[in-house]
Amino acid sequence: MRPNYLFPYKSRYLGIALILLHIPVRLIWEMANPGIDSHRLPVKGNDSILFTNEHLFFLASSVLVLIGLFLIAFSKEKIEDEQIYQLRLDSLRWAIYFNYLVLLFSLLFTNGINFIDMLRLNLWLPLLFFIIRFRWVIFRLNRSLNLEKSSHEE
Amino acid sequence: MKNNIRIERALKNMTQAELAILVDVSRQTINTIESNKYIPSTLLALKIAKVFDKPLEEIFILEEKDYPVKAGTKK
Repeated sequence: MRPNYLFPYKSRYLGIALILLHIPVRLIWEMANPGIDSHRLPVKGNDSILFTNEHLFFLASSVLVLIGLFLIAFSKEKIEDEQIYQLRLDSLRWAIYFNYLVLLFSLLFTNGINFIDMLRLNLWLPLLFFIIRFRWVIFRLNRSLNLEKSSHEE
Repeated sequence: MKNNIRIERALKNMTQAELAILVDVSRQTINTIESNKYIPSTLLALKIAKVFDKPLEEIFILEEKDYPVKAGTKK
């Protein structure tokens, strides 16, 4: 068998935990620092505000979410067989299509700081789309099996 | 392509889950192969044929629609 370069099955739960963990941390930060727009990187022409607390927090929380999404997207299924492999590739292709569509639209209809926001959105949008699409096809696969089973039992 | 896996399974009195374990895939995969929704790799097809102890061609059968229709070259 060719190696599939995926994380172990259980690392999915680590990924979910990281994302869940990020939510209260972020909420507490925003409550403790009202008025700071932590969604925006400090790139306002004044480079001296790089690596402030705000910036470091933004980096840390983004890295947390990204690693979480990455683990969820690329952990093995319980039985990682060739059909799963195919569905995975298929979902990845759709995620890339979707991502480039979004990029194209943002290129055409936004500019300046909005375009940078769109690029930042791109950090996690393809992963998120991949996860949703992949879980959906697996859900459909299991549902078709259950439907068949119940029709046999009748 | 169609296949006789369901029939062969019935002959051997084997469930989808049992076959799945023997060829190291999920039950879903056996199910989708049987209902012609998924075409297995050569490797998996050979493994399935080995379980039933039959040549590949007796289990997986090509159909007319597997050939792209070209004018004048119909098989």
